[in-house]
Amino acid sequence: MAALEMVPVVSGSRDGRFAKILIWTGGTILVVVALAAIFAPLLSSWGPKEIDPNGTLAAPGGEHLLGSDGNGMDVWSRVLHAARIDLGIAICAVALAVVVGTLLGMLAGYLGGWVDDGLMRIVDIFQAFPTFILALAVSALLGGGFVNLVITIAAVNAPAYARLVRAEVRTLREMQYIDAAKTSGASTIGIMWRHLLPNSLTPVRVIAPLNCGWAMLTLAGLSFLGLGVTVPTAEWGSMISLGTSDVVAGRWWTSVPPGLALLVCVLGFSLLGEGLQERAEARRR
Amino acid sequence: MRILRFVGRRLLQLIPVLLGVVVLTFLLVRVLPGDPIRSILGPNATEADADAARARFGLDQPMWKQFLDYLQGLFTGDFGTSIQSGGSVGGEMALRLGPTLELVVIAVTIAVLLAIWLGIWSARRADRVGDHTVRIFALFGNSIPEFWLGLVLILVGYATLGWFPAPSGRVDPDTNLTPLTGADLVDALITGNGPAIASSAAHLVLPVLTLVIGVLAPLLRSVRASALEVLRSEAYAAAAAHGLPEKTLLRGYLRRATLVRLPSLAALVFGTALGSTVLIEYVYSWQGFGQWALRGLLYRDYPVVQASVLIIAFAYVLVFLIADVVHAWLDPRVKI
Repeated sequence: MAALEMVPVVSGSRDGRFAKILIWTGGTILVVVALAAIFAPLLSSWGPKEIDPNGTLAAPGGEHLLGSDGNGMDVWSRVLHAARIDLGIAICAVALAVVVGTLLGMLAGYLGGWVDDGLMRIVDIFQAFPTFILALAVSALLGGGFVNLVITIAAVNAPAYARLVRAEVRTLREMQYIDAAKTSGASTIGIMWRHLLPNSLTPVRVIAPLNCGWAMLTLAGLSFLGLGVTVPTAEWGSMISLGTSDVVAGRWWTSVPPGLALLVCVLGFSLLGEGLQERAEARRR
Repeated sequence: MRILRFVGRRLLQLIPVLLGVVVLTFLLVRVLPGDPIRSILGPNATEADADAARARFGLDQPMWKQFLDYLQGLFTGDFGTSIQSGGSVGGEMALRLGPTLELVVIAVTIAVLLAIWLGIWSARRADRVGDHTVRIFALFGNSIPEFWLGLVLILVGYATLGWFPAPSGRVDPDTNLTPLTGADLVDALITGNGPAIASSAAHLVLPVLTLVIGVLAPLLRSVRASALEVLRSEAYAAAAAHGLPEKTLLRGYLRRATLVRLPSLAALVFGTALGSTVLIEYVYSWQGFGQWALRGLLYRDYPVVQASVLIIAFAYVLVFLIADVVHAWLDPRVKI
């Protein structure tokens, strides 16, 4: 579970064919997952919270396609419905982190001085922790629920975006066209909005998909520990957690399917992110 | 001498960060909702009982007084008393750090060695089948939820094949292992307890494997990328054009130059590994630092939360400092 980090890919291929394959595979996976999330009620005959009174821990096949869990809920239906909340929280959290981080990074980078010093010291404190530990601490203190989880995951990631955008803005600030804009009377806000923002977003665009994958893993990890989304709401991490005791008893179907779904979805984001990064590098050459 | 000055300066820079961490944790854990006292008292406790308990832990004092007491304790090496257990936080923490460090250190070491070997191997075959396989594997490693991987390994290694012990501890209690450091394998080796060596090693396999797979991916990607950079550098091309033997090229040029970027990444990975162990300890009932800190966090055990957060931050920044020193040692161009 690697957090936000710019590990250069340095592709072997020069024509960007591999990048294209990566982007397309990742994109396809994500579209399929999104469709499964949207049409979940049509794809399963049981509701995600519906309890089958005479079928707890039923084996796959028969009435339950992927079996049922210890509460008698249908695993297949829950795996599908969980995509909604997992994707929803992850994407909202990353979007919020990007907005807040970019704003702070631009302010720090362009204004400099005490604004920069103050903001960067706060970022230092945030980055004195491994990100998952930070997420764990914040969510234990804030509590669960959709909004709180979005805030938790966004708060943990925003500092990295702030740092990224700040570095970008500091190089852009010295460019001649910024001077030109200044001499022609553009306001500070105008320069930030029209010139700095679009140009400093380039690295953000590459990193955000990777970050979405990481956000999903974090969310599932928190729920696994009982801190995120809790039963009966369908969520992959809490489903895996519920199946922990079944695994020791050799029953695979309560926790393997949600984990596989999570893996596939995160892999979609990773492939997309890696492809975008490789394409960005190929363009730079 | 220069190195010592550099380390000294960096340690000084750490003080404001760590002080910030201390103040922030102290405030946040008290301001945000949750009451440690209510969780240790039974449901029938009266308000008077709660007040008495609060007074026992000094929680009836004004906030600034509590903070000064805490700070004074820190300077004398006293982390306070756990509200949950009533024991000394420092003592409890010492018992829990050993098992976790054992797990993390073994896993990160294995992952670093594997990453160096596999990353260079992959870079030398850039854009061929072997390289693509390694890259896809790394992508999988980056995307896999470790706690789930741990469960799958239990399902296969314990429930199906029966090769490994049940995920319920670190060593078989029948081996009568005397705890010294808390790291069971180390303790078993020191005391020369044969059965305990076998038992603790067997218990280590699955959790270590889980952690290795989790942290290998980012390391592998980075080693591969920097090896490719070296392979495409002019210095390497010149050395190869001179007709240096393959072995000299690999050892003298490729490997050393590739390793330059590794220390800071290894430090980062050490951090992610710390995060992952919280989950992995939970899966394997490891009873280490992660589970202890998590419990403290869930019950708002103020002293435990403060101590564990501070120790993690301290360990993390310290590892980065070590990484910078190693980096300077590997790369003579770095001036410190």
